[in-house]
Formats: sequence, structure tokens, C-alpha cells
Amino acid sequence: MSKTHFDREHHVKKATDVGDPQCFKGEAGPAKFKVGDRVRVRDLPSLFYSRTMVYTRGAECTIAELVYESPPAEDEAWDNCDNPEWFYSVIFHQKDLWPEYPEAYADDTLETELSERWLEAV
Amino acid sequence: MAEKHKAAPMVDEISDFEVLEIAVRELAIEKGLFTAEDHQLWSEYMETVGPLPAARLVAKAWLDPEFKKLAVTDGVKASLEVGINWITDMPSHFGTPSDYCNLRVMEDTPTLKHVVVCTLCSCYPRPILGQSPEWYRTPNYRRRIVRWPRQVLSEFGLTLPEEVEVRVEDSNQKSRFIVLPVRPEGTEGWSEDQLAEIVTRDCLIGVAVPKPGKTATDKRPVHPAINPVDH
Amino acid sequence: MTPERKKVMQHINIGCQLQPALHVPQHAPFPDLIDNAHFRAYTRAVHDVGGEPDVPIQWEEKEEEVWEHNTFITCEVLAWRGVWNAEERRRRQNVDVGQTQYLGLSYYGRWLLTAARILVDKQYITNSELSDKMHEVKKRYE
Repeated sequence: MSKTHFDREHHVKKATDVGDPQCFKGEAGPAKFKVGDRVRVRDLPSLFYSRTMVYTRGAECTIAELVYESPPAEDEAWDNCDNPEWFYSVIFHQKDLWPEYPEAYADDTLETELSERWLEAV
Repeated sequence: MAEKHKAAPMVDEISDFEVLEIAVRELAIEKGLFTAEDHQLWSEYMETVGPLPAARLVAKAWLDPEFKKLAVTDGVKASLEVGINWITDMPSHFGTPSDYCNLRVMEDTPTLKHVVVCTLCSCYPRPILGQSPEWYRTPNYRRRIVRWPRQVLSEFGLTLPEEVEVRVEDSNQKSRFIVLPVRPEGTEGWSEDQLAEIVTRDCLIGVAVPKPGKTATDKRPVHPAINPVDH
Repeated sequence: MTPERKKVMQHINIGCQLQPALHVPQHAPFPDLIDNAHFRAYTRAVHDVGGEPDVPIQWEEKEEEVWEHNTFITCEVLAWRGVWNAEERRRRQNVDVGQTQYLGLSYYGRWLLTAARILVDKQYITNSELSDKMHEVKKRYE
């Protein structure tokens, strides 16, 4: 029968004593966005897996922090670590996410992390 | 071998879950994917984790403004000062596979309250906070806290005025979060130990705030296990 | 709670389950009958529950089962030893399992099923070996 070989060593070689996501530092190239930028979450087709929650799609948010470089979860979920990208911490106004969010709490926010492929400039 | 591995279910009482767990572990060992010693070592590491280091991190931050600055800019470095190394404490020496190595400490202010959730699964900062509570893992908490945070917080006994911005942290990628609550009134002159005592696990998740005299999480029903882990 | 109050709460809990429902069973319909909104629903990532309406419940803690603890350790050690990474595990455990198992099987039930599945999918064991081992383990406790 045919048998696939899986490399069980690649992560331990890369990340031992370095940590994850530290081990991807420097691999993503220049970041497209900076702190303070207004961006919108793209509603890309995400057929089998995504860690960009549907409730964020199409909504506008502000870049709060450049947090780290890492392969996007959509690819890391198949052990593909070839194309790390920048991950951003972004902040939404709750009233922009939920139509019924009470006006009394108009200052409430939600923060989450999204990778660069999911964001576009507003 | 740990008691945990030897705990044999009684005749008639073994569940399909228990059968499968034993089968998977034995097959993995037979095929050389890991050793029984590996399993034991990781189990022993998990016995060392709990919420006390995170509580001490908060107490230290309350007492030392410079440390607080470090905590909110570099959570991994700050963790070292409470004896937690996110990279090398565990047998892998590259962090835990599930918790990674990017702690973010979220500072509450009198006008900003953080609360943490992982809507997609139940990501949690285990190396510094221990295992997640059952309610944190429920679809219910994960569905509702992002959209109706104030309602859910009120169910935990926490009501916040309109002037306070409630910020939900959806912990959906590689960062892991603890909340650095506002130091409460009535703690002037307290030692680090005294302060750490009132920073409960629920305060670090953000569903409670620290109060003088309150050193334990609220009592909730505990769903019993059929064959519980001994502690 | 007095026995009388217990009966009252039980009645409320059972009563609210009696609700009319219009089910639309599906037996592999023609694709032209499936609009894009339903295509998206059927192909949704089931773990993505943020914002779905739900009702207040009693928040509970839970004692951990021995098998749950061992399952957690097995999953982490499989990742330590490079059989998978945590993201592969999550994808399989929280999405690939599908809607019914996602909500039906219990939290650690999914971790466990997924650990068994990775061993077979990556050909470290055969499906038959898994069956034989489960059978053998079961017999030990008869």
C-alpha cells in the first residue's frame, strides 16, 4: 500500500527554546497596516476553516496593535506554514457589529486578532 | 505510572469514552508516537499550573507602576517575574502546543472593563492560569458574551455603569489573555500576598472584579464526574 | 428546594420543550433548490457561534473525568511529538466533526474522537487496528 511520510520534526526544530509565534518573527515581510488605520474585514469564502468569525465580516474596525507574525490559521490547520503574515489586534464598536446593541452602551467595544489577508483599507 | 492511568473503571461501568481513550493512548504508544513517560511528564507539568501566578502578576502590577508597564507591553517577559516561562516550563520547550507563547495582559481602568472569551473553541492562558472552567467552554457563554456582554456579566453578579466601556476580548488566534483589574478601594497598604489573594480566577477572566475580603470564586454547582481525577 | 417547588421547576423545564415545529427534512435535494444563503449555512464552520442567540443558563463548574484528563494530555503530547499541531487539532475537532457531533458529543468527547481520527488519517494505525484495540479493551472490563 502507499504510505505518506509526515515530517514530525519541523516544528520542534524551528520553535524549541524560541516559542511560537516567536519562531515566525521576520518571515512575513513588511506589514500592510499600522496602528490607527481604519480597516474593513473581508468576507472571503472560507470553505473548510477560518478563525475570522462571521460576526466580524464586512464590519469596520481600527488597528490597535501589530501583535506577531504567523501562518494564517486557515493554512496552519493543514500544517502549512509556508506563508506567515502579520496579525493585527483590531477593535470594533459593538454598535457596528450588532444592530440591536443598546444606545446607552454606545462606547462598548470588542477586540480580536485577525491576519492581514482578512483586512482591507477603508 | 500515575494513579490517573491505573484508575480502572468498575465492571459494568466502563463507558465508550473510557474504552476509546485507553485504546488511543495504547495504540499511540505501541506505534512509537509517544512514550508512556512522555504522557506522564506532560501530566505532571499540567499539575503545576493554576491561577496563583496570574494573581501575583496583577498584585505586582498594582504595587509597581514600572512592572505594570512591562506587563501590558510584554506579558511573556512579565510572566517570568512570577515564575512562569511560557516557552520552557513545559517538556516541549517550545511552549504548550495549545496555548502558544504570547500572553497579553489587558489593563482595566475606571472607564474600561475587559472580559475574555474564545468564541471559536475555549482558548485559555493555561500556563499562568490553569485549566479553564467548564462554563467558559460552553457554546452558551461563547455565543452570548460577545453580543450581550452586560447581560452575561450581570449573571455573574457584575453590573457596570454606562460610563464604563465594556471591551470583550475574543481570543481567537495565538495570543492568550488575562485581565489586569482596577485595584479596589480598601486595599491601601496591603502586601503583595494580601492583594494576590483577592485576585480570583474569575477576576482574571474578567467576569468578576476583586473585592477586599473576597478570596474565592463565587460558588456554583459542580457537575460531578463518574470517575473523577483525584486531586 | 421543597419537593413541591421541585415539581414546579420540573414542570416548567418540561413544558417549555413542548413546542410546535415545522421540520423540513432534507434527503439530498437537487442543487438548484439550494440558494447561496443555504449553501453558506450547510458549509458553515460549526465552531463559529459568536452572536448566536441563546438563553441564560446556570453557570456550572465540572469535575474532570480521568479519561478527560488523559485525553487532554494525549492531544498535547501528540502535538509535542509532531503528529499534529494545535490548529490541525482544532480544525478537525471543532469543524470537521460536523454540526451534530459538535453539539451532541460533549467537549472532551470531540477531543478524544479527533485524537483517534488523526492516528488513522495519518496512517499510523489502520481503522481495523483501532476497532480491534477498542474491542480488546472492552473485553478487559467484561
